[in-house]
Amino acid sequence: MEESHIQGIPVAQAGIHAGFPSPAQDYMDGIMDLNKELVRHPAATFYGRVVGDSMVNAGVDEGDVLVIDKSLEPQEGDMAVCFIDGEFALKFISFKDPGKGGSNAPKPGVSYNILGCKDLWLLSGNPKYKPIHITEGNDFTVWGIVTYVIKKIK
Amino acid sequence: MYALVDCNNFFVSCERAFQPQLEGRPVVVLSNNDGCVVARSNESKALGVKMGVPYYQLRESSNGSRVEVRSSNYTLYGDLSRRVMGILREACPELQVYSIDEAFMVLDGMSLDQAKDLCRGLVRKIRRWTGIPVSIGIASSKTLAKIANHFAKKYSGYRGVCVIDTDQKRDKALELTPIDDVWGIGWRSAPKLQKMGVNTALDFVQRPSAWVHKHMGITGVRTWQELQGDDVIEGESHERRQTICTSRSFAETIPDLEELTLRVSDFAGICAHKLRKEHSLAYEVCTFIQTNPFRKDLPQYYPAATTRLEMPSSNTPQIVAAALRALESIYKEGYQYKRAGVIIANIIADDAVQGDIFDTESELREKADKVSVLMDKFNSSGSNMLRIATQRPGHYAEGIRREHCSRLFSTDWNELIEVH
Repeated sequence: MEESHIQGIPVAQAGIHAGFPSPAQDYMDGIMDLNKELVRHPAATFYGRVVGDSMVNAGVDEGDVLVIDKSLEPQEGDMAVCFIDGEFALKFISFKDPGKGGSNAPKPGVSYNILGCKDLWLLSGNPKYKPIHITEGNDFTVWGIVTYVIKKIK
Repeated sequence: MYALVDCNNFFVSCERAFQPQLEGRPVVVLSNNDGCVVARSNESKALGVKMGVPYYQLRESSNGSRVEVRSSNYTLYGDLSRRVMGILREACPELQVYSIDEAFMVLDGMSLDQAKDLCRGLVRKIRRWTGIPVSIGIASSKTLAKIANHFAKKYSGYRGVCVIDTDQKRDKALELTPIDDVWGIGWRSAPKLQKMGVNTALDFVQRPSAWVHKHMGITGVRTWQELQGDDVIEGESHERRQTICTSRSFAETIPDLEELTLRVSDFAGICAHKLRKEHSLAYEVCTFIQTNPFRKDLPQYYPAATTRLEMPSSNTPQIVAAALRALESIYKEGYQYKRAGVIIANIIADDAVQGDIFDTESELREKADKVSVLMDKFNSSGSNMLRIATQRPGHYAEGIRREHCSRLFSTDWNELIEVH
């Protein structure tokens, strides 16, 4: 046994009041739990740390924490953590050719089967990085969809 | 009807979940102290890497440079296990967690088609949500569900779910199952049975029950019945308590950490003793302390914290160390504590642990277990004659080698995946 991690259990949930009723219990309902707000699917939610400047124009900077939900199906415009050619990369998912304008633009909110979809582009939030057209030659998966970005400002 | 859910090459799959570059490559995970191989990917198995082979031998072998090696990262595996079990429990409230990577779902009141649909959906969902591939075997008894699971894992045509629902399928499966692969047939009985001409599970069920009783006793008969599809193994985790709690209110109030440490050590020791008496092991040790709620004139504080053990344990030094680590994380000066307690949770049967080749770890634990048994003997008179000299947390971690350890991707803010 080593490096075991300690997690606090909110008193009202711990189910440990064999003796005294806890006076704190009455107030627990009113607590705004950030976990509940930021994590829709606890079993599928992981976190990532941003490295580099690929999303600066989207307001995501180095050091920010990403809340990543692996249960979600990628949709047009989603910010996603992709695994491409041996590295995790933060990209916008697009099913339309950015060179051609929006002629074959899919409807927003419609979900696409990423594996069945032949045409897929990964866009960054920084003009320095060109769009990547995913072909069968790429070692590529969508690892998870970013649902929140946590930024430390102080 | 039971469904046995088993994670494929679990430790390796956990490593791959956060290191997708390991997909399709030969990977092994080493025991504590980087001693020997305790988990292998299918690619490593295909290369002929054997379970339990010492790491130095693997390194010097011709495959040594081709195999990706990772030290065991139980914190990571424990977290992913918790997620997988959480998804299963949501789908099937009657879940019997058997080990870190295995659980039985009780699927009573469901049609076979419903069960199949549920399980196929779960294979996809768990893979997608957690990155962990699982296989599921469905049958009318636990022992048969184990065998079905084995087939689901072995043949990709099943796409993760294999059902044994007819006599023909059962006999075919039993015929293809060597007797030493049957759940409940120990390594000592298998050679004995083979000598008497029982080589497969089918050979075994074709013997009369009197013969089985004569050579294998009542547990053998139970396995024999289970293999025919009769459900005779009691729901283990049903009989087991979900939690064990030891707590007291103090006659006086206690403000200082030293005195609380002594009390909490005692409570943890009592819990560990109860665990051993029930042949159980626990994953979680929770410590709580409380001020007196009737003294409104004094500041109130009711904290609790849980330490999760990397490997389930019932031995006193480990349980005490875990309880004290939790205590140290919640204790604050300036309060008059009136009550404290230790709760042991996430309890499993002590024969459900697969860590028997965890070399140094198990040696350490054996020693500690002997100490625990001695303590039980001395303390049975009711007075706690023998106590643990309370140690500083982290004591056990010193000197353990982990040269190839991956990060705590899912449990430590400083070790998250890096996204470029």
